This record gives sequence, C-alpha cells and structure tokens, in this order.
Amino acid sequence: MIRFELTVKDCPLAPVRLCDLEEGCAARFHEASLDAEARDLLRALGLTSSSVVRLCKSGEPCIVQVRATRIGLSKLVAGQIYVIPESRDAV
Amino acid sequence: MNRVALIGNPNTGKTTLFNRLCGVRAKTSNFPGTTTSMRVGHHTRVDGRGWEVVDLPGVYGLSFDGPESRIVRHVLHGEDGQTKPDALVVIVDATNMSRNLILVGELLRSGTPLVVALNMTDLAARRGLSLNAAVLAARIGAEVVPIVASKGTGVAALSDAVDRLSSTQPAPAITPPPSNPDAMGEWADVVLEAAGGSLKESASDPLTERLDRFLTHPVFGTLVFLAVMGGLFWTLFALANYPMDLIEATFAYLGKLATTYLPNGPIAELLSNGIIGGIAGTIVFLPQICLLFFLISLLEDTGYLARAAFVNDRFFRRFGLPGHAFVPLLTSHACALPGIMSTRLIPSRRDRIVTILVAPFISCSARLPVYVLLTGLLFADRPWLAGPAFASCYLLGAGAAFTSAWLFGRTVFRGTPRSMVLELPTYKRPSIRTALLTAKDQGLAFLQTAGTVIVAICIVMWWLSAYPKTGPVPQAEALRSHGLVQEADAVQAQAQQANSVIGRVGRTVEPVFRPLGYDWQLSVGLMTSFLAREVFVSTMTVLAGGAGDPSQDPGVRQRIRTMTRDDGRLVFTPATCASALVFFVLAMQCLPTLAVTRREAGGVKYALLQLTYMSSVAWISAFVVFQGLRLAGVS
Repeated sequence: MIRFELTVKDCPLAPVRLCDLEEGCAARFHEASLDAEARDLLRALGLTSSSVVRLCKSGEPCIVQVRATRIGLSKLVAGQIYVIPESRDAV
Repeated sequence: MNRVALIGNPNTGKTTLFNRLCGVRAKTSNFPGTTTSMRVGHHTRVDGRGWEVVDLPGVYGLSFDGPESRIVRHVLHGEDGQTKPDALVVIVDATNMSRNLILVGELLRSGTPLVVALNMTDLAARRGLSLNAAVLAARIGAEVVPIVASKGTGVAALSDAVDRLSSTQPAPAITPPPSNPDAMGEWADVVLEAAGGSLKESASDPLTERLDRFLTHPVFGTLVFLAVMGGLFWTLFALANYPMDLIEATFAYLGKLATTYLPNGPIAELLSNGIIGGIAGTIVFLPQICLLFFLISLLEDTGYLARAAFVNDRFFRRFGLPGHAFVPLLTSHACALPGIMSTRLIPSRRDRIVTILVAPFISCSARLPVYVLLTGLLFADRPWLAGPAFASCYLLGAGAAFTSAWLFGRTVFRGTPRSMVLELPTYKRPSIRTALLTAKDQGLAFLQTAGTVIVAICIVMWWLSAYPKTGPVPQAEALRSHGLVQEADAVQAQAQQANSVIGRVGRTVEPVFRPLGYDWQLSVGLMTSFLAREVFVSTMTVLAGGAGDPSQDPGVRQRIRTMTRDDGRLVFTPATCASALVFFVLAMQCLPTLAVTRREAGGVKYALLQLTYMSSVAWISAFVVFQGLRLAGVS
C-alpha cells in the first residue's frame, strides 16, 4: 500500500490579489473581476489565461510586468486581479 | 497595389517607419467623419513604382470601444466612408513579441493581405532575444521582415515584401489564429515558442527596472518630474523668444511697407492693421507651439512621458482627473487648442470631457503679453515683485483647473476617474527626425485650425474699431498746428476708438464690469480680448493713444499707466490691475478654443458650459479681489 503524505509545502497555492504579491515575485494569472473595458485592455497588453505576472513595484499605483510589457496599474485594478503565486514566499 | 495601411500597438515605432517610407512630404488630415488625425504619404520604390501609405492610429486590439479601434475596424472593412487598404504592414516590437502577436492574430483573421515588420531587432539582440523570422512567417502564413526603423535598416526589404503581396499568395499558416479572442494569447505563445522566441523574463530590461525604480519613486520621481518640467519651460521661453521677436519685427516691417506704399485709405488700413496684424498675431505663437511639441515628442520617445503620467496619477486623482490628463494640461501651456486635441489619448469619456473643460485655465502663451503688461503696471515702482506675481498667475491658473475638476466630479460629471491601466514603454533614445516632423505637423495643424479663425477675428475687430470714422478732433488739430504730430495722432486715435462701434459697445457693457473697477476703456479691452487674449495689449495701446510694443517701449507703458477715466481718475489703479490680472488668468477669452471644445467634446453644450463657468469664476474672483483691495484701502 502506498501512503501519500501531504505537507503544507505540497498543497496548491490559493489565488491571491495581485496587489498582495511580494514585490519582485511572480505569479500566474488566475482570474479578474474587472469591467469589460479594463479586461479587454489588459488582455491586449498580454494578460491572458495562465500568463506569468510579476509585481515590479508595489504601492499606489503599482508596476507589473506581463510577458515583456510593463504596466502601471492602480491599486484598485490590481486588487481585482487574482493570481496564483509561483512560490509560498511570494505572498 | 494602391493603398497600404501601417498598423501596430502604440510605442512600436510606427510613426518612425512611416517617416522612413514617406519622407517629409506626408499630409495630416482627419479620417473622414471623425476628429482622429490621419497621416497619409506616398512611398516611392527604387524602380519608381509606389503606393499610398496611411498611418493608422496605434491600437492594442481591434475589439475596443475607443475611437482609435473603431476607426481601424472601419478602415479594415472599408465601412463608414473609410477606404479599405489593399494591404497591411503590421509593425511589431521584437522585444515584446508575445503581446504584439495578439494583434497580428486579430489582423490575420481580418483577411487583408499583410506583411509583418519586425522592428527594434537591434534592441532585441542586445537583450539576448532571438527569433527565427522564417519560422515565424511559416507559422502565421505571412512574410516577416526584420527591420530597425530608426536607422532605416530593412526598410527596402520590407518594401519588396509588400510589393510581392500583389503577385504572390502566401503559404497557408501552419498555426492559424483562433476565432476566440480569449485563446489569442495562447496562440501567440505557441507561435512565439515555435519561432524560438522567449516567453520568460529574459525579455525584461535591467536598465528599465533601475530607471523605473528611480523615476516612479514617490519622492525622487516627483523631484525628477519637477526638474524635467522646469527645464522644458525654461527651454521653451528662452529659445522661442528669438524667432518670436523676429516674426514680430518682420510683420511690423511689412505693415509699415503697406502703409508707406499704399495710398491712405481703408485698403491700406485693412491690409496693415487687419490682415498683416491678424496673421502676425497668429504666427507669433508658432515657435512656442512647434518647440513645445518638439520637446514633448522627444520626451514621449524616450518613454518618460508615461512615467510622468504614472507619477502624477495619485495627485491628479485627488482632483478627479486621471494621470493621462498630464499631457493635455502640459500642452495647454503653449495653447489650449492642441492641449484639448490631445485629450483623445484619455480612454474614459468622462475623464476626457472634464480635462477638456478645465484645460483653458492653464496659462497659455497668449496670456503672456497681458501678464507682462499688467504685472508691470501693478508693480511699476517695485519691479522685483513683478516676477513672483507673474509666477502666481501660472499657479492660480493651475489651481483653478484642479479645483474645477474636483468640483465637476462632484456635480455635473459625478464619478471618479478611470483607474490606471497604462503601458510603460521601454526607454529608448529619442528620434530627432520624428520630433522635427511632429513639430512641423502640429505647427501646420495649428495654423490651419486656429490661424484662419484668429485672422478672421482680427479683421472683424479692426473693422469694428476703425468704423465709423471720426473727423478731425479740434484738440488734435491744435497739437498738429504746433508741430506735435505724434501727440496729435495719439489724440485722434483715442477719439476714433471712443466713437467706433467697439467703443460704443464698451460704454454699453461698462456697467457689467464696473463692480470689477473697469471703465469703458478697460471694458473695450476685455471685449476685444474675448476673441483672442493677446489683442488686449494692442487695444489698450491704441486707447492710450499710440502705437508700439509696451513691453519694449516705456513711453507706451507710461501712457497706459497714466490713462484716465472720464472723471479724470486713473484707469489702472493697483486694485484694478490686480482685478484685471485675476480676470485674465481665469476667463474664457478664446473663441477658437470654444470651437475646438465643441468639436472634441461632441456638443455645443460643453462649449457653453465652459464659457459660462469660466467667465463666472473670472468675474466673481476679480470682483472679490477688487472690492477686497478697495476695502483694504488699496485703490
């Protein structure tokens, strides 16, 4: 019989708000509860499903990098974007 | 092949490529039925053949609701009066391929034949980014030509590729783009990886990281911003003075020639005072406008303007304006017309209209001669105070703009500005060539839109102040008989102004301005300056009984200072000067601006609101200043 032991470290990370990410850390885009205009613009700027987002500078406004594009985001928008951190140290 | 359209994301070097393809002879006009400008040029190949090139607005995607995306959609489908191009050149940033490919995917689905211009390949190579253009071409089913638009590298090959579109069919795409826009990002990633491109952070630039950390810092970023703006305005006022003086001297000479060589009469007067004076009054601001746009273009090219908008966002939002409003308000320091036109880059309609309404509060170059005259009169015996008073006028205008935006956000335009989603482009070395062409285009646009109106206004004003003709005045004749010709001319001119149509109108409207401390002469000055502010100085010069430039000629300044009312009291008391200064800072006295507001905001009601609001604010503020100073014994 094979026994699986799950530790906290192995558990999948829960989505967090982009603005709660640690500065310099990367995460995968999960979902966004934005109005259509902002969602379309962010999608055109490269924020599509599973794309990697990095918080370059926290604060109001903050700077994130999606693919090779740096985007200035208000905290309000960054708070409506949910991402899954790449590591536990990211939050 | 007759017509090729250039299309791409903003900040991909589209305008630089357009200038490379078409040279300096491009024309700027509006897309039919719209206020969005369109540049059209002609590209001539080495073999003599060529095609028309249309520079479409930069867009992030085709599905947005903004005016730029709508125009691109209409052009691509030949709808709404737009001419459909025979082919597209899609310009993409080689350092940011995965995002740029999303637009390429959307355009491939439109069905128009296209060539992809892979720009900034030199920058991509420096960052260690490589891409196999042939594999990319096979994947998307369109030719891909690596170029460096700023150096002209690869432009000839691009021209050949476009030429081949008319004779050869591209091979079908190995990876055709999906129909679902949500899947376009994944498609772009798959295509990029297949072509050897990187999806990882190797695309990030350490220099950009370091500069952003400094330039967007709440303290250092603000200090840099203040230094950049200080440098910009110093350069603007220091350098533009030389060509402005030259233009004034040239037109003064032309006016003199007209009066010398033409027989005395209405034709000579119309030519020298109406037409030549009107054209001079317009063209004199051209150096400042061209220089400001040249400097703004350089700043924009470096990538700094987006950072300035970023740094200002927090401050602007407190007053209900978005960070995007920074560029229109900056431009309004030269002239409100291009300032209002540049509000098109603000995505939200509510934010755009609020910015349009408050932009004319910013002190433009047309107010400068008035500030010089009034601060000079106010502090004639304390000239060291004129400088701070001059700077206070700028601060008062900016303060009124922000306060009004705050007020609009709580009354007629309730709501908060749209939250910031702003691309921060890569830092680049600016293109002098592009900046020069931008300055030329904007200068011509100013002459076309404002010039015609201002010249027409000046001609009408000349007529109103020149007719009906007043016969010889006994006092003037007496002076003339004693050989005092100049003094006689001055008295005659004063009588002419007083009896002219505008003089009579001045007496009629005087009761409206009397609570602000103005007599009929100052009321005439305000009336004429409603059409164009700078006309105030020339009107007061004529009413003071003479001709000349008060900023250069102390005699003229002295005559204005000693102008008297009908009851013998001085026209320009300290309280009157301060009141008039405040009125000029805050009042809407520019007919062309109202015309542009109506056009850009999309209705005459916005122009009427702007006129009513600004005039009311100016009148009330000037009233408070005059009556306050009078009560304090300063009169």
